[in-house]
Amino acid sequence: MGMSESAESAAAYPNLANALLIPSRRQQFVRHLIKIIRKTAQNWSNLDTNPGCRETAFIYAITSAAVTHAIARACSEGSIDTCNCETHYKGRPQVTGNAAVAGVRDFEWGGCSDNIGFGFAVSREFVDTGERGKTIREKMNLHNNEAGRWHVQAQMRQECKCHGMSGSCTVKTCWMRLPPFRVIGDLLKDRFDGASHITAASSGHHRNSNNAHRNRPPKSPKSNNLNGNSIHSKRDNRRKHKYGFQLKPFNPEHKPPGAKDLVYYEMSPGFCEKNPKLGIQGTHGRLCNDTSMGVDGCDIMCCGRGYRTQEVVVFERCNCTFHWCCEVKCDVCRTKKTIHTCV
Amino acid sequence: MPGTILENLSGRKLSILVAILLVSQLGCFFVGLIAPKPATSQAIIATTCLDNHTAAKNMNHWVGLDCQRIDLMKRQVEAADDIVLVVQMPLYDLDFSRWQQNLVGILQFDLIYHSGLNLEEFIVELTIDARLAYSNKAERGGRTPWTYYAHSEEKRYMDCDIDVKTVRDPDGYPYNCSMVPLFELGSLYHDYYLLNLRLPYDEKLMKNVNLQTVQDVYLHMIHMNGGFTRIWVALKTFFFPVLIGIMIWFWRRVHMLSRTPALLEYMLISLGGTLLFLDLPLEYLTLWFNMPYMLLLSDIRQGIFYAMLLSFWLVFAGEHMLIQDNGEKNSIKLYWKHLSTIVIGCLSLLVFDLCERGIQLVNPFYSIWVTPIGTNLALSFIILAGISASMYFIFLCYMIWRVFKNISIKRSVLPTMSQARRLHYEGIIYRFNFLMLATVVCAAVTVVSFILSQVAEGQNKWDENMEIELSSALHTGVYGMWNFFFFFFFFFSHFYGMWNVYICAMLMLYAPSHKQWPAEPICAEGEEVEFSRLPTDPSPNEISSLTSFASKASIE
Repeated sequence: MGMSESAESAAAYPNLANALLIPSRRQQFVRHLIKIIRKTAQNWSNLDTNPGCRETAFIYAITSAAVTHAIARACSEGSIDTCNCETHYKGRPQVTGNAAVAGVRDFEWGGCSDNIGFGFAVSREFVDTGERGKTIREKMNLHNNEAGRWHVQAQMRQECKCHGMSGSCTVKTCWMRLPPFRVIGDLLKDRFDGASHITAASSGHHRNSNNAHRNRPPKSPKSNNLNGNSIHSKRDNRRKHKYGFQLKPFNPEHKPPGAKDLVYYEMSPGFCEKNPKLGIQGTHGRLCNDTSMGVDGCDIMCCGRGYRTQEVVVFERCNCTFHWCCEVKCDVCRTKKTIHTCV
Repeated sequence: MPGTILENLSGRKLSILVAILLVSQLGCFFVGLIAPKPATSQAIIATTCLDNHTAAKNMNHWVGLDCQRIDLMKRQVEAADDIVLVVQMPLYDLDFSRWQQNLVGILQFDLIYHSGLNLEEFIVELTIDARLAYSNKAERGGRTPWTYYAHSEEKRYMDCDIDVKTVRDPDGYPYNCSMVPLFELGSLYHDYYLLNLRLPYDEKLMKNVNLQTVQDVYLHMIHMNGGFTRIWVALKTFFFPVLIGIMIWFWRRVHMLSRTPALLEYMLISLGGTLLFLDLPLEYLTLWFNMPYMLLLSDIRQGIFYAMLLSFWLVFAGEHMLIQDNGEKNSIKLYWKHLSTIVIGCLSLLVFDLCERGIQLVNPFYSIWVTPIGTNLALSFIILAGISASMYFIFLCYMIWRVFKNISIKRSVLPTMSQARRLHYEGIIYRFNFLMLATVVCAAVTVVSFILSQVAEGQNKWDENMEIELSSALHTGVYGMWNFFFFFFFFFSHFYGMWNVYICAMLMLYAPSHKQWPAEPICAEGEEVEFSRLPTDPSPNEISSLTSFASKASIE
């Protein structure tokens, strides 16, 4: 499967996003971005026909996380000019007329707000499109999209600077620091390993079956998508899900999946044997980890066929020194390593 | 009892006054609610550009966003000197407004860990060649060319760490690095600013020798919000003439009396003067003139006001001590011990401020905290100020404690006093209690607002999504409160003199002899009374206990 590799290829998106994100054509490019991220994240199947298994869950989560992250980053680069500079402040009477002029005036009045909020809103607006939350598959997708975004948000770190009288904290300004995407990818990988199996029959209580908020164009990304539905904010924690459904675990004794959990309802297709139709390579000859209990562990990855253990000599970089800007000097060390390969 | 009638009258007027002030206070708070928060930050990723390092010797050589871009991670360059990090402020097509007042820049480096590198926790000594240029909107559209603003080669320290054990594959994983304050501009006079940063590498001069692979450099720029400045200046513009009016009225009333003003009145009028200086809406001038010293000036304005306020509290407590020294008029000299703590504290803070923000007038990249000597110097000034502040509070608490102790002793002997003397003391106690209450309430509200604003700002604001900006409301609320506090002081000390029944009794104390004190006090309106002066000739009956106490207290 190579999930961590796909996470990395998704992490390599910033340049992609830079190339794509041209002002004023956001929608098109976000769609394109989603497509490319998903393509790099899965090389084994067509997304629309693949089963509702945990691999699919991961792809949805990392896609929405990547879109959130990419948009927030692109805002900081100045590559999108629609970032939250014009809509962030609602307490003030809106200046009608030229939108650009209003944006400039609002920047003067209250500055620009955090980019992550904008990324989050754009991700909700575009990644969730088409998922109406009616079928179990759509619910699964919505949940996983939200979980991906949640991980970006949860990894934001707040930093503050005091700049009051004599530099004291009488005036303090804080901002959220965008986490590197590697961190999010790793966390999602952990969630992938511990994804919740939900029951396909239980669609649960459906509060807003006709939740049409995504069908009409939002007036402002923040007011519609952030304030209205921020299910994971503290005060809304009582509400389990923004779309008004609660997924039930497959095993009734397990806890219902939380907002950060990835969910799936179907078992993964066999990755053990080669299946050209689904684009599955099979695990013959794959390296595995004999101490891991996860999918990279030899027990699971080799599908019970057993594994070969070899001792090999590898040459690795060691004792590296780095010279800013662009020079890494390393010794090459010879080490003995034990590797395990699936039969 | 005529006293009760008059007391009721004064109480009613007082409550009207308090109600008016409270409503205006609420008004200040609500005005703050429409303002955005005081300052906003914007994160900007620095554009990495290739530039010829020989061209960099020219100080008028500016690399803009139209440069030849490179990717630091791809190692396309040989020499560190050829790399320029370019940040143009603000982002997008926006431009700064002069209402935004000042600009603070903070750098954040995303460093990358390489496998085979054993550094898990280290301190980077950064050497940053920083140059700042400005540009303005040209009259016929477009922008004027970049013009030199400041240049400096600065050192900064940055802590980085990575927890290799928890990371699955640490190669290429980012370090967690502390932020690096870069510059502070006291004025935001120009429309656009351009920052060119170079990180030169020199093994001999130890420049950037332990810097690791840089993935991204962010600049977090913080500016005041134009909306907040407008509301703030509007409040100042409102308070300034009102305060002038009240001060003139107060001072005229004091001079209409047939005596020289008391110490407390001098203190009150000079406190009003410092508040007036604080209220002076100098910010209007920044809309037309380049005033980089505004940050320093506002520090000094606030500092003078706080110094005066603290001195006032001391004198206020001291003047209510109810101890009669040989009938002499109290003068400021009596408080030299206490006041010197304020002077020392404020002077050391002023020196610190001059060392930091004063030098920033010349070099906006300067920071006193970078060099060990500077850090020690700054710390010693701050510690000195802290020691003086705690000394001051010990003095103040001791004085207030003594006042309360005296009050309770006076209370116990009140029934044995003659009516005039009793009313006199009741008056002092009443005034002190009332003003003390007002002071404590104001101080408590200030502290609570400060904590609230810290909490509000410290919270994960993205999570909270607060509709209203509480921090501005707290700022304006507290600001208004202190203004009203002094209006209240002025009014109260005046109305008190006008209406309070105890004044009438006090006037009797000027009568030459005990025996001429009338049974019913006659009230003369518009007369101010000094409480500090009481005849010290001991009258055998009622004062004996009092004088014995007073002498005891003065021995203490």
